[in-house]
This record gives sequence, structure tokens and C-alpha cells, in this order.
Amino acid sequence: MLKRGLPRWLEWAMDREQARRAPFLAHSPLFAGLPRRLLGRLATRFLEKAYSAGEVVFHEGDPGRALFVVVEGTVEITQATPRGEHLVRTLGAGDAFGELALLDESRRSRSARVAAPARLLILYKTDFDALMDGEARIAVVVMRNLSRLLAAYARSNPVVVTEPAPGLGAAEPT
Amino acid sequence: MKPSWLWIAGIAALAWLARGLALPVFLAMAFAYLLSPIVAWADARAIRRSVAVGALFAVIIAVLLAAGLLLGPRMVIEASALVDGLPALASQIDTRLDGAVRELVEAAPVFRRVLHEGGGWANRFVLDRAPRDPSDLFEHAGHLFLLAILVPFFAFFLLRDLPRIVTAAMDRLPPQHVETSVAVWRELNGVIGRYIRGVVLDGLVVGVLAALGLWALRIPYPLLLGAFAGAANVVPFLGPLLSAAAAGLVVLLTPGQGLAGVVRVAVLFLAIKVLDDTIIQPYTIGRSVHLHPALLLGSVVVGNHALGVLGMIVAVPAATVLQETVRLLLEHRRVLARRPLRSDAGRLSG
Repeated sequence: MLKRGLPRWLEWAMDREQARRAPFLAHSPLFAGLPRRLLGRLATRFLEKAYSAGEVVFHEGDPGRALFVVVEGTVEITQATPRGEHLVRTLGAGDAFGELALLDESRRSRSARVAAPARLLILYKTDFDALMDGEARIAVVVMRNLSRLLAAYARSNPVVVTEPAPGLGAAEPT
Repeated sequence: MKPSWLWIAGIAALAWLARGLALPVFLAMAFAYLLSPIVAWADARAIRRSVAVGALFAVIIAVLLAAGLLLGPRMVIEASALVDGLPALASQIDTRLDGAVRELVEAAPVFRRVLHEGGGWANRFVLDRAPRDPSDLFEHAGHLFLLAILVPFFAFFLLRDLPRIVTAAMDRLPPQHVETSVAVWRELNGVIGRYIRGVVLDGLVVGVLAALGLWALRIPYPLLLGAFAGAANVVPFLGPLLSAAAAGLVVLLTPGQGLAGVVRVAVLFLAIKVLDDTIIQPYTIGRSVHLHPALLLGSVVVGNHALGVLGMIVAVPAATVLQETVRLLLEHRRVLARRPLRSDAGRLSG
């Protein structure tokens, strides 16, 4: 995609790694609808890390500070239950997880473990906030996509909020 | 001894041996922070870093050459005039200051002790740091030349290779540190970057305003004094005072200017300071620094004691980093104390 950004005679100056990232991110539902220019800016904010099979990306209850996008490999999202670890989803290349860390820095509701050697792109909330400060369009598009994901989940799971509202008693989360 | 301690000891020993490189590396980092938005702009267009940084340095050299050709002759004339007149100026300063001090002490004897202490401080701060003989002067010139070579050299490689260094460091980082430690670094990185770019832009605006104001008031050496005002603005509190004092001294020694000229210069620098605090700084440094004025002053005093002028310059970013680190650690504890929400299950993962 970004190949079109540079004229043919300047292709020698192209950073292929960076050129690969923007179109890759465009396939993620969270960044769908972002124009090429903003995808390019967003891509520069991601850091990349290699994980070995079995390594835990984050534990349930850890403070969430970053969004992860799987570049290659497999990541399993699990939840602790009284009967042991329950597999919620298996993610592959192009899938994102930990999206809620972009909204606030609350604790992780799931654990993420690498099932097969993986490379992950990591976007920290700080970097995302800085980007949004200078580019409101990114904020609008990403927040709209995130709202859609939340709305889709709310429709399929009617009870969404399990944290007791102040003054309503201390009901245990279900 | 554990191998990790051996590594730490080895790195500490190397750092001690290479301590002479601390200043050029620090300045190169500041320079790299200053230029990083332009390199990020090129990154977003998928232009290779080596090409972007090379082109950027070529443009900087071209701009410096153009500025040197345009402003250089005028600056050289001002500097030469200042250097030529330095011995005469020094004796004039001595005579006039002695006269003024005598008059002041006669009028108000209470100032005798204050002026004595002030003179001692000025001696320690200014005269004791000045080069004693020509060999010292050459040594200083050599250091400056070395800095002028090393700073861009280190900055070039920092800008070009930083993503590779960060990726290599991330790959070696245990997964449990990826979210918390790196998040703190990213936060501090943002604060330092915004502060350095803000301070430089602020100094540039203040320097230009001072030069224009001095030129309008027909004060000699407006370019030199403006450049000094811009550079000194980096030092909180003391910088604006020093630049105003330098301009006031030049006015005092200029025939025909007199006390009215000193007042005009004082009003000009006061107006620039008010403009800087109320309009320029909120746009340049803005939200990057939230230090309480008492903490700001305290950090500058501690910086001066520890590292002199360099300490005064790095005091504010260092105190800000310390404050932000404490804030982030407290925030981390606060988040850990919260119960996890289970509302984001299902398609949203974690």
C-alpha cells in the first residue's frame, strides 16, 4: 500500500518493514477506516517483540497499559475458573488483543499466553494518547471501532457491568 | 557472584572509564529528541531511516551554512568589536562599578555586607570559572570543537539506529516487564521529548524577540545579546536575569544611553519574560512540565551544586522525570488495588 506513497525512482529509499506494517494494521477491525496517511503515523508508534511458545504476555489482574497485535504465531486468551484455566479465544496473525488498555489502565480481565512462537506489535496507551492529541481523526475512528466491538459484545452478552455501582451493595462479579 | 552482577559491574566500570563522553552523549540525546518528530514524519511515509536522517543532516548543514553566510559577517563584526574593546570595557566596568558601589555604601551602609557576599558569589560563579591563561583558552576551544564534532556524530547514529536498539532490547526483556517498565519508559520518553523541543523553541522565540527589541532600542550588539538571551533562557530563573544584566551592562557602557537606556532594556526584558511565561511557554513547553515553582527552584539550586551550569539546565527535566516516575509507580499501585472488571470478556480480549 505504501509503495504507492513513494515514486518508483525512490523505491530504493523505502523502509520495507515500515511499509509492511501499515497495510497489516489496516486489516485489524480496530483500525479499519483509517486513511493511509494516519495508518502510516500509527504504525510508527508500535514496538515489536518476539515471544517464545509458553511465554505469558500478561496475566489476568495485571494493569493493562498496551494493545497487542499478532504479526505471526498464535496467542491464546484464557480465563481462570474454579475448574482451571478456560480457553476463551485463539488468535492468529492480524488479530488484536488488550484493546481496553487504550481506554483506561484498568486490570486485565483475561490472561494471554503464546501458544506458538510469535511476534507481537505493541502500542502503549501513552503513545496512542500522544497520537490522538495531534490527530483527532485517529481518536474518532479507533474509538468508533472500539465502541462497535463493545456494542457487539453487549448485544450477545446482556449482562455487561458486573462491578457494583456505588451504594448498591457488594455483589460478587458473575 | 551471580553473572548478572558481573554484567552490571562491567557496565559500571565501562561507564566510569567513558565518563568523559557523558556530556556529548547527553547533548546528542537532546539533539536527537529535537529532531525525532521530523524522522517520525519520514517513518510514517516508510522512508528508510538512514536516508531520512542523512537528508535531514544535509539540510541542517545547508541551513547553518546559509545562516552563517547571512548572519555570520554581522556576528563577527559585533564579536570583534566586543573583543577589541574588551580591555577598555573591563577598566570602564571596574571604574563605574567601584563608583556605584561606593555611592551605594555611603548612602546605605547596610549594603556593605550584602555587596561583599554578592561579590564573592560572582567571583566564584563567573571569574573562577574563566580560563586563566591562553593554554586554558585553547583547551576550552578544543573541547568545544570536539563537542561540535561528537554531538552530531552521536545524534546521527542515535536517530538512525534507535528502532533497532529498542527492538533488540525488547526481545531480551522478560515478558513480565513489557507492559509496566516499558510503559514507564514510553511515558518519560514523551515528557522529555516534549520538554526539550519546547525549551529549544522557547529559547528561539525569546532570542528573536530580545534581538528585535534591542535592535529597535538601538542598543549595540543586538544579535549577540539576542543569541545570548535565547541560549541563557534554557537556565530557569537565572537565565533571563543574566541576559538582562548583560544587556544592561552594555547599555551602561554605551556613551549617550545612560540610566534611561538601562530602564528601557529592563522594561524590554521584563515584557519578554511576562510574554514568555503567559503566552509563549504554554504553547512551547506546555503540559510537559508540571513542577511546583518551589520544586523547580529547589531542583535548579541542587543542579547548580552538583554540576554547575549544566546541572541547572538538566535540573528541570531530571526533576520532572523523578516526579513522573513516582506518579506512575503510585498509579501502578492504585490500579493493582482495584478489582478487575469482568465486563470486557468475549470478543474483547484482556
